[in-house]
Amino acid sequence: MNLHYLLNELYYQRRRTVAAIMGLSIGIALLIILSSLSAAYRQAAHAPLKEIGADITVQRSGNVPEQLAGVVFPCSAETIRDEQVKKVEGLPGVRGIGKAVLLWVFDPNRAWIVLGIEQKNPVGPAVLRSAVVDGRFLEEGRPEALIEASYARQFNIKVGEMVSIAKRSYPVVGMVDASRAAKIAVANVYLPLSEAQSLAASSSLVQSVSPFGKADVNLLFIKADQERITSLASALRGIFGKEATIGTPESFLKLLGNLFALSDKLTLAASLIAIIVAVLIAFKTMAGNITERAREIGVLKAVGWTNRNVVTQLLSESVIQCFLAGIVGLAIALVAAFGLSFMKVNIPIPWEMSPTPHFLPGGGDQIFKTLRLPVHVPFTLAVFAVLLSVVIGGLTGILLGRNISKIKPSEVLRHE
Amino acid sequence: MNSMNNGTILTGTGLTKKYGDLAVVKEVSLSIAKSEFVCLVGKSGCGKTTLLSLLSGLERPTKGNVMLDGTDVTKATEDELALFRRNNVGFIFQSFNLIPTLSAWENVALPLFPIKMAGEERKKRALDLLEKMDMGHRTDHLPSALSGGEKQRVAIARALVNNPKVLFADEPTGNLDSATGDAIMEILKRLHTQEGVAILMVTHEVELAKTADRLIRMHDGELIS
Repeated sequence: MNLHYLLNELYYQRRRTVAAIMGLSIGIALLIILSSLSAAYRQAAHAPLKEIGADITVQRSGNVPEQLAGVVFPCSAETIRDEQVKKVEGLPGVRGIGKAVLLWVFDPNRAWIVLGIEQKNPVGPAVLRSAVVDGRFLEEGRPEALIEASYARQFNIKVGEMVSIAKRSYPVVGMVDASRAAKIAVANVYLPLSEAQSLAASSSLVQSVSPFGKADVNLLFIKADQERITSLASALRGIFGKEATIGTPESFLKLLGNLFALSDKLTLAASLIAIIVAVLIAFKTMAGNITERAREIGVLKAVGWTNRNVVTQLLSESVIQCFLAGIVGLAIALVAAFGLSFMKVNIPIPWEMSPTPHFLPGGGDQIFKTLRLPVHVPFTLAVFAVLLSVVIGGLTGILLGRNISKIKPSEVLRHE
Repeated sequence: MNSMNNGTILTGTGLTKKYGDLAVVKEVSLSIAKSEFVCLVGKSGCGKTTLLSLLSGLERPTKGNVMLDGTDVTKATEDELALFRRNNVGFIFQSFNLIPTLSAWENVALPLFPIKMAGEERKKRALDLLEKMDMGHRTDHLPSALSGGEKQRVAIARALVNNPKVLFADEPTGNLDSATGDAIMEILKRLHTQEGVAILMVTHEVELAKTADRLIRMHDGELIS
């Protein structure tokens, strides 16, 4: 292989070079962009659960309360028994569990959405600790209340006051801006888990619909090994039945309903089509370029170049062209990824995960988690794409080179 | 390779070339001595270029054989033929056939590219030959910047870069005006007389052929004199 000849060929035959590079680079760019978009939607689908420190949420659904009065489960939540929680703790891939009790409390003068939380558990709503805007967060062992800031403003509740919930009084120790922290399990008032469990256990309306023990809950947050989320979700269905609502990144992805978010296989198929089209374009362009050079190849052979010499030269040209196409494709993809990263994505939060009674303000509104699409080109994908270009260049070069090197110099040189 | 004892460098015996049923060269036998300048003349389409291709190893005969400096060219494989051409023969074509993306000196060095040798040595050999062709001032120019005569000088230098035993020239002045053609013929004669290179030149111009040591006429695939 003569490097100088190679570089001269690429430089002086710019039209040919640019045509070959552009064909493949567009395909490589498409491959990178499609894969990055798919990964971005997948990453976005993790966001609603991640911001509450979990990878999976579990709720059971059953009968609706007989009447909306006193302490009830939100329609149509059901009890998750303590022994079921213990089973979940034993499942492979579970790294931590957060327990909560979500209640609707209808007092004569006010309706509350109450969430009982474990104050120190990093898995679950205790992440709200960072969203306290006034006062302090709940402390363990104390029967006290944390009020959601906008609710507190609406009803003029202040830190230090006492609030009455289902005829029990709690001092208000702080205000929390829940909208800043998470969209899942948003409540008006946050109580220690034991207080919420006690409220539920003492409610005849809860007991009549879904018998509830003092250690039971109705909402679970699970931190899991990322690669086991899917298998864990199906194991959870085995424990809680098909009616259970298992919230996973995959389920959020389905809610997005976007083509790129729907399926790995679809993205793979689209990427493959993009790359096949690109390879065909590159192959056709290079085949045309090499055919144009039949006479030149004839001269090379006439002056003593062997088939191997010719193939090596053409292979080197093809590899360099395709390597450049990979770099250009990567550059196009990086620019496109930068532009796409300004796109906003709205992830719908299922009503059951943040249930507000329909007759209360905002109760019928769809809640969305809105975030910028986290599009970026992973280093491994970039390297893969460039390597793929080089491989395509190698195969194209060998195939076309072997074919053209078989020409007889006398055939192409005789027709002056 | 050893030279043939009788001073003959190239011999074609009973050469026949058929394309389908059409015989373009018919039972031709021909020998060229070392340092001999032979002209093959004939009308267009009489088979002289095909005969030149057979004798130079560019093409295989349907029948017959070619011996060049003791080697039977017709029995060689494709790659052996390429190596044979690289080491033993030089070509000058009517339309120059220079590589458009390479400079004059690089075109001259083209047959040496696949050979392992120092780049500087390769360039020096090419530059020396261009100097001999009075092209020392145009070594870095691309073929597109050269005149027809200059291109043919570069092509002659390329044909000589491997110190060939025989130089094959196919209508070397065919694309040139008469003055430039005469200059090219002067160079070929000089190569023959001063360097002792055997030359087989194909032309349809009898006047040009008269400058050769020997003139062979060809008609309808056969040698007639």
